Amino acid sequence: MSCLHTIAKSPASNLLTSCSALLQKGDGLIFVEDGIYYCDQLQLEDLISRGISVYCLKDDLQARASCKGSLPDSALVDCKAYVDLCCTHDKVVNWF
Amino acid sequence: MDNTITIISRSAPYGSANARLCIDIALAAAVFEQAVNFVLLDDGVYQLLSGQTPAVIDSKSVDAALEVFELYGIDNIYVDEGSLSSRNLSSEHLAVEAKPLDAAGIAALIEESATVINL
Repeated sequence: MSCLHTIAKSPASNLLTSCSALLQKGDGLIFVEDGIYYCDQLQLEDLISRGISVYCLKDDLQARASCKGSLPDSALVDCKAYVDLCCTHDKVVNWF
Repeated sequence: MDNTITIISRSAPYGSANARLCIDIALAAAVFEQAVNFVLLDDGVYQLLSGQTPAVIDSKSVDAALEVFELYGIDNIYVDEGSLSSRNLSSEHLAVEAKPLDAAGIAALIEESATVINL
């Protein structure tokens, strides 16, 4: 069973701390809305080594003129790819 | 203490209505010739980033709204230095000119103001 987690609030919310403890190998994590401010602060190595796929919604990142940090270009997804991610995971858990 | 209104804007520009509300309050106060201090604190500093393209998510530009403050006689836009540095930002990333202030400076603004609005 894989799960896609979405984070929709900025790092000031501390949501990633709560979410991270529950992430399992094979899960996905996508930053949307104000969650995109996590990208330039994110230490990816830990999540990747745990087998988590990390994504960011490109439109929200562009609108806010924030940085993608150490995320590769392939991690920036458009709305259509976001929907695909929701469908390819067994369930979606929203953090907001 | 004078009749100055200090507005502390602590929210990122597009995730909620708070940023827009703070701007509307400031402009309304300025139209009635009230002295206004506008302070960007915490996530509020993201409102100042240059290169925002909110049309992509069907939103109206917040940084453009901040740039008209001068026309309304609001010259006192402040940004919290600590909030910038904790977000890996510096003045070169900002589209809107804001006076840098530390926590003690903001505390002094609050003390000097008759009214403080914080959201």
